[in-house]
Amino acid sequence: MSIYNQCCNHHGKIVRITCHDGRVHVGRITRVERDMVWIQPNRGLGGFGLGFFGDGFGFGGFRTGFGTGFGIALGAIAGIALVSAFFW
Amino acid sequence: MSNAYLDLLAYFGIGGAHPGGFNLTQTILEDENIQLSESVLDVGCGTGQTSAFLAKRFNCQVTAIDKHPIMIEKAVERFKNNPASVKVVEGDAECLNFEDDSFDFIIAESVIVFTDIEKTLHELARVMKSNGRIILLEMTAEKNLSKELQRTVCNLYGIKEILSEEEWRVKLQQAGFTRIEIIDTPSELSPSEVDDINQSDNIKKELFDLLEEHNELITHYRHFIGYRAFKCYF
Repeated sequence: MSIYNQCCNHHGKIVRITCHDGRVHVGRITRVERDMVWIQPNRGLGGFGLGFFGDGFGFGGFRTGFGTGFGIALGAIAGIALVSAFFW
Repeated sequence: MSNAYLDLLAYFGIGGAHPGGFNLTQTILEDENIQLSESVLDVGCGTGQTSAFLAKRFNCQVTAIDKHPIMIEKAVERFKNNPASVKVVEGDAECLNFEDDSFDFIIAESVIVFTDIEKTLHELARVMKSNGRIILLEMTAEKNLSKELQRTVCNLYGIKEILSEEEWRVKLQQAGFTRIEIIDTPSELSPSEVDDINQSDNIKKELFDLLEEHNELITHYRHFIGYRAFKCYF
């Protein structure tokens, strides 16, 4: 399944995205475009210290947006998976 | 009494939201020899993932109860295309609406700790058949916790106390269980695969904040608070 389709399948869910450069992002997918997925970081099940969320400025392939979190270019993504989390 | 942490699990609709997650549930239950004719109670069923597994794997009579209306709604939704397999009931573990000696097998996955523990254990003992067995998977203190940490944990999860393994044994005995085994599992809190989600729309910001707080606490204190899987008989 293409990264695009995987993003669509996980829309609204909290995922862990691993990029080709090794960076890992955790957040809820808020929007999927042809070349970009938008995730809302630092909320939801994130905060495992897996990566630096920042505000997206200055990162190659990243765009910031209001309300939808920040965007990651689909071409930069190596893998996408729903997160594991600790619960009682 | 409302519990914000249980609201969180209910609104996010996370299946397998207990230590070890659904993987551990499957591992534990695969070793159980549950017969077709046996009646099974999944107390604190949440969105019904374990009940679905029990019904499918053993073809037994499963009753799933939960106190949270959103959990019940989502459990009902899970079984709507297969209504015969699991009976979903809204109910309170502290005061069960079942006859004495109703169930051959009972499972409670991180449920009792959120209730009045003594009351619930007595209720479960009441509805379990004399030759039945019960499996509990519950939060357990790994070492002496400072008063401050106890207070923090109790406030965060809306619970009254965090029992040690020995304290669980005592309470289980008081409820009438005489044979108490510990199922061999990694006691330290292990991750639940979050792959069974039925999330509500428009989740309040407070619940996201609570999730953050929960994550923080787990990151810092997971060596202090673990869990045990108990298997008990009369």
